[in-house]
Amino acid sequence: MKKTYYLFNPGRLSRKDNTLKFTPVDEEGNELKPRYLPVEHVDQLYVLGSLDANSALYNFLGKNDIAVHFYDYYENYTGSFAPKCKLLSGKMLIAQTQSYLKKSKRLEIAQSFIEGASFNMLKNLKYYDNRGKDLMPVIDSIELLRKKLHSTMDVNELMGIEGNIRKNYYDAFNLIINDHEMGIRTKQPPLNIVNSLLSFGNMMCYSECLRAIQKTQLEPTISFLHEPGERRFSLALDLAEVFKPFLVDRVIFKVLNKKEIQVHDFEEKLNRIVLKEKGKKKFIQAFEKRLEETIKHRSLKRNVSYKHLIKLECYKLQKHLLGMDLYKPFKIYW
Amino acid sequence: MYVILMYDMGEKRVGKMLKLCRQYLNWIQNSVFEGEITEVKLKELISKAEMIMNEEEQDSLILFKSREQKWLEKEVVGYEKNDLDQFL
Repeated sequence: MKKTYYLFNPGRLSRKDNTLKFTPVDEEGNELKPRYLPVEHVDQLYVLGSLDANSALYNFLGKNDIAVHFYDYYENYTGSFAPKCKLLSGKMLIAQTQSYLKKSKRLEIAQSFIEGASFNMLKNLKYYDNRGKDLMPVIDSIELLRKKLHSTMDVNELMGIEGNIRKNYYDAFNLIINDHEMGIRTKQPPLNIVNSLLSFGNMMCYSECLRAIQKTQLEPTISFLHEPGERRFSLALDLAEVFKPFLVDRVIFKVLNKKEIQVHDFEEKLNRIVLKEKGKKKFIQAFEKRLEETIKHRSLKRNVSYKHLIKLECYKLQKHLLGMDLYKPFKIYW
Repeated sequence: MYVILMYDMGEKRVGKMLKLCRQYLNWIQNSVFEGEITEVKLKELISKAEMIMNEEEQDSLILFKSREQKWLEKEVVGYEKNDLDQFL
């Protein structure tokens, strides 16, 4: 499987001998020992530091189908360099737009997303319930809310229920995570450690979903659950709902409960708690490991990685939009 | 699959070989590479390598293949010339 590379150090990325060469620079601007990345093995690059590059490099990356994502100082996603879109399909775009415009169709898809998301959340809670945390009250109240999903009349009502489910779910975080309090969910800015990890993790999940969407014919700006607004790829947000519980949340529980990430991996800056570089690396490592884990796919009857699962979800959605198959959200069954 | 590749070539051709291997695998030591690679890509690499190699001059290329990285235990004694993590 192709890998994602994370560029933390400032430096220069260049094309050299038909492959990628990264030359880091230190504070004084001196070049350090270069590192060559095998171009055939790179899927995408995350730029978290400052990067020097020229158009020759971007041409080369484009030809090799490598995306580059940029993040600002506060880990906010600022944009991407996306290789030429090879998978254009007018038919798909029209089908997607039509499904959005037809109220009943849109609602049906949105309900599926929440159904999958809440199911996967419950799976998380049940897992920890089996391990001696008393989560039964939360599970019951989410089960109750879930029953209302399919009787909702419009997306706003659905979003209301989703909000309630999520509130219950986040309350349970306080019980699952051993030494840290989550309190209420705060974002922009995240005010404590758990919230900060959650924001960072969700961001990683969104970009992973966006990358998967870009590899299919789907249009990332037309979404069903979230309102397709301006300035963002909202279909990635829709898709991420299904995957966040077991890609992000489970990783957070693990790194905190096993003390892989601790208080000293964070720092307080301008009224917000952010991960230090070392902490970021630790989290990304755990997240990447999770993406590479494989499961036996029931209908495909072969082993599939979590990363590939996101792409399969896009295919399922495409089939639904084209009327070939009904979309059933991915639910973890183990 | 996970492979370890090493070569021994005439002076004129080592540079070409180095550049070729860098596209597919991670360099770890002089004329030694390792990394994850698919079967098709490995075939591609080998066929390109054969174009560079010269049999009369006894060039050779050796590959150790393993199904996955976890079946391979790596130990570095002394200085590690290049560490392979995803963080740069």
